[in-house]
Amino acid sequence: MNILEVKNLTKNFGGLTATSDITMNVEKNSITAVIGPNGAGKTTFFNMVTAVYKPTSGDILLNGKSLVGLKPHQVSQFGITRTFQNIRLFNEMTVLENVLVGMHQNLKSHWIGTLLQLPHIRKIEEAAKVEAYDILKYVGLEDYVNENAGNLAYGAQRRLEIGRAMAAKPKILLLDEPAAGMNPKETDRLTSLIHDLRTKLDVTIILIEHDMKLVMKISDYIYVLDHGELIASGKPDEIRTNKRVIEAYLGKGAVAND
Amino acid sequence: MLAHIIQNLPQVLIDGLTLGVVYAVVAIGYTMVYGILELINFAHGDVFMTGAYIGATILFLLMGFGLLSSLPALIVFLIVIILAGTVTGMLGVGIERVAYRPLRRKNAPKLIALITSIGISFVLEDAVRFIAELKTGNYIITAPSMFNHKFNIDIHHVLPFFNNATFQASFLLVLVVTIIMLISLDLFVNKTKWGMAMRAVAQDRDTASLMTINVNRVISVTFFIGSALGGATGVLFMIQYGTINPYIGFILGIKAFTAAVLGGIGNIRGAMFGGVMLGLLEMFAAANLSIITNGAMGAEYKDVFAFIILILVLIFKPEGLFGKAVVEKV
Amino acid sequence: MSAFFGKLMQSKKNQIILFIAYVVLAGAGLFLLPDSTIAFLMLLFSILILYHLNFNLRAKWISGIVILAIIMPFIASQSDSYQTYMEVGTLVGIYCAMALGLNIVVGFAGLLDLGFIAFFAVGAYSYAIFASEQASKFMPFGHYPLPGGSFWIFIIVGAAVAALFGILLGVPVLRVRGDYLAIVTLGFGEIIRILLNNMDHPINITNGSMGIASITPPNFFGISIGSSSQFYYIVFGIFLVVIYVVRKLENSKLGRSWKAVRDNEIAAQAMGIPLVKTKLAAFAIGASFSGMMGVVFAAKQMFVDATSFTYLESTMVLVMVILGGMGSVPGVILGAGVVIILRTQVLTNISNWLSSISADYGISIPPAISPEKMQLLIFGLLLIIFALYRTQGLIPHKNRKVNVEVLKKESAEAALAREKATSGGADS
Repeated sequence: MNILEVKNLTKNFGGLTATSDITMNVEKNSITAVIGPNGAGKTTFFNMVTAVYKPTSGDILLNGKSLVGLKPHQVSQFGITRTFQNIRLFNEMTVLENVLVGMHQNLKSHWIGTLLQLPHIRKIEEAAKVEAYDILKYVGLEDYVNENAGNLAYGAQRRLEIGRAMAAKPKILLLDEPAAGMNPKETDRLTSLIHDLRTKLDVTIILIEHDMKLVMKISDYIYVLDHGELIASGKPDEIRTNKRVIEAYLGKGAVAND
Repeated sequence: MLAHIIQNLPQVLIDGLTLGVVYAVVAIGYTMVYGILELINFAHGDVFMTGAYIGATILFLLMGFGLLSSLPALIVFLIVIILAGTVTGMLGVGIERVAYRPLRRKNAPKLIALITSIGISFVLEDAVRFIAELKTGNYIITAPSMFNHKFNIDIHHVLPFFNNATFQASFLLVLVVTIIMLISLDLFVNKTKWGMAMRAVAQDRDTASLMTINVNRVISVTFFIGSALGGATGVLFMIQYGTINPYIGFILGIKAFTAAVLGGIGNIRGAMFGGVMLGLLEMFAAANLSIITNGAMGAEYKDVFAFIILILVLIFKPEGLFGKAVVEKV
Repeated sequence: MSAFFGKLMQSKKNQIILFIAYVVLAGAGLFLLPDSTIAFLMLLFSILILYHLNFNLRAKWISGIVILAIIMPFIASQSDSYQTYMEVGTLVGIYCAMALGLNIVVGFAGLLDLGFIAFFAVGAYSYAIFASEQASKFMPFGHYPLPGGSFWIFIIVGAAVAALFGILLGVPVLRVRGDYLAIVTLGFGEIIRILLNNMDHPINITNGSMGIASITPPNFFGISIGSSSQFYYIVFGIFLVVIYVVRKLENSKLGRSWKAVRDNEIAAQAMGIPLVKTKLAAFAIGASFSGMMGVVFAAKQMFVDATSFTYLESTMVLVMVILGGMGSVPGVILGAGVVIILRTQVLTNISNWLSSISADYGISIPPAISPEKMQLLIFGLLLIIFALYRTQGLIPHKNRKVNVEVLKKESAEAALAREKATSGGADS
């Protein structure tokens, strides 16, 4: 069953075409990778799915319902959450608070209830903190609960972003270059984390990634973008040997000389 | 009612144009700084005001030496405006050095830079107030009148549905000088090496610095030009309107900023256009609000009018009439 | 010396003794010396010391309330300058509440509002109009002025009207990019001021530049409240409520949403936080504190006109927030105290001192130099210095830390409970 269907998605910035006519089907509970050289339009694609950009034409359907025209926070409430290529944490808030913010859309606590000190609101808040702590333990940040997110090391910040996104209990999790800037050891840890996430949260994962080893290892299906166009799609093994993909990455000559 | 409005039109046009070109030049200062630093330089209106005071001081000094009557008025004017412009230009560079550059180096949030500029604005207002009051006993200053010959446009004779209009010689001076300033700035920005560097820094500071452009130097030059133009306009304002106080820069600054937004922030020609348009609109409102609303609202609402334009533009067309919409990078 | 002092302060008992000694000393000073501003300030300063001592929270609150509500007013009442002291205390309270309101907008939500005083004005005028003859000039029904008992209802009305104005301003304006917001709110503040100054025609609503006089004083079960010492308690009460609300909100879901929006708008949206709604809440709640205090201000002054609500006043509240520390509740309270005391006590005293010197010794000190007139310069410099060198303010904001041990325990308990539930499920 397809959870996400993308139909003929196109985005123009002025005269510039960032993505053109992309069609994708993402199966529920799969790990799908979107790859391609820099400037291929991968992040633009994510931005359209999360409603940061409005597509010029085309449609995005979540379980058959169109997401086009919604506000970013509404898309999030529908169950799509993301991480960012250039980490976007709430730097002046604690690590725990970052995860708590991630839980907001499922958190039934109203500020008026907080002011009145209603007991069930306190209970909800207390339970939320415990849950957030569990998530931090899961992503390996339980020692930094009270630290400001801005003070974390780079790899830890990436993991916190994933933890924050997990907290939202999304149906679809979009990861934008989660391994960027990580050393091999951190990448290994991330790979197993992503793998584990799918089963633990029953979530569909779409990721943009440049680290081919990681992509080939965990993806069920891969889409390849180049210059805003979809040039190939298939299982990892198919992509590995696809001529157009190799051309896109290495240039035309690479294939001819081979 | 309409007949009334049309009758006054020639005078409204003259007054509106005078005010409009003043807004235009001050707006350029805002737009240049915003274009490069993405900072609303709240102190700019007060640099304008300081220019007016420096101009008045030089005039009084010249008068003390007895030069005011012996030199031709135009020479006196040139001395005053060039000196005042230079001093305020240096003031602008100083402000940037002391208050904004350290923040830039620390990569401080925008909010902090805005707050600093409000602080600078306060300090300038009070420093000028203090000096003026110390020297003269009163901080409101009436400058020696110059170019006060009155002209009458006998337009009623030619087009009977218009009333006659009058203007002072200073009106011509303001108009000519601001137009010269605007044209030379436009040439400078579009035709010279420095102008090109400025545009490059405005577009992408990091890339510009990789292209061996000395970004700090370019920012200094920008502040110098913007502030010098603002200060020179202060001199024009003083000559045109006679009386100045340390607080003229505040409201005028906000309106000039409105003009800059109207024309598309960062866009120099847009700022010129926005300034003239705002001046005309404001004078039109001042002259006709009372007629239009049947006396319910008078000229005292002209400032409200300007602010409402600002709010409307920011909401419905934040990129201004001539600016390009920017997409934030995610 | 400092090592000795540090050792002394380590023990809780010593802290208590020294603190009490300090309060007694300051109190005695206030009691014995005639017109002693310094002793009065020392007594107020004890609250700051209290904040930094390591008592438990409840003890701190109780001692603070006792000092401010009982000790200080009682000692001051023995002095000739009783009403002056209480007037300062009242003003500090009014501005504290306002600064805490602005702190929600600037410190928590990261929105620079330069027209904040407008909400204060709205509150003040809403009481002034209806508690004076003014309302009868345009209201087709009802008897005005309303009796002094209505004051208590108007505290709520003032808050509501100010919140409404906050929303009315916010709905169009909050879509505007961050730094433009500063200038738009500034424009809004000016619009309100100009309107108040001119709405005497065609319908006389605000009495224009004449202002509204003879405002009915509040009435508390038959007692007419007219003196600063009485208003002090009203303000103190509201102040306590405001602090409670702010402290609770800060660590609520809404408070976290504000900070998330402040730290990163795009990420906040991606986590499902609606931007405009969250910012509107900050505007409305911040404004409501201001509106409440506006009502008190109008009742206390018994006269309002537009000159009390200028851009300078808006920036003054901003100075309090910056000086104290954006986002820091104790900091902002300190900031409000420092600014008000500078304005009403220190600067006036220096001015008086200067003029007395010039009278006594025949030195001519030009009036231009009077520190009272130098407010713009002084506060401008404070803004610059703090923005450049101490952005976090006098008492920097600290995020509330959770007790990790408790979380760890609760997390383990929850895991155990889950395990039991699943194994229990398997059994049956």
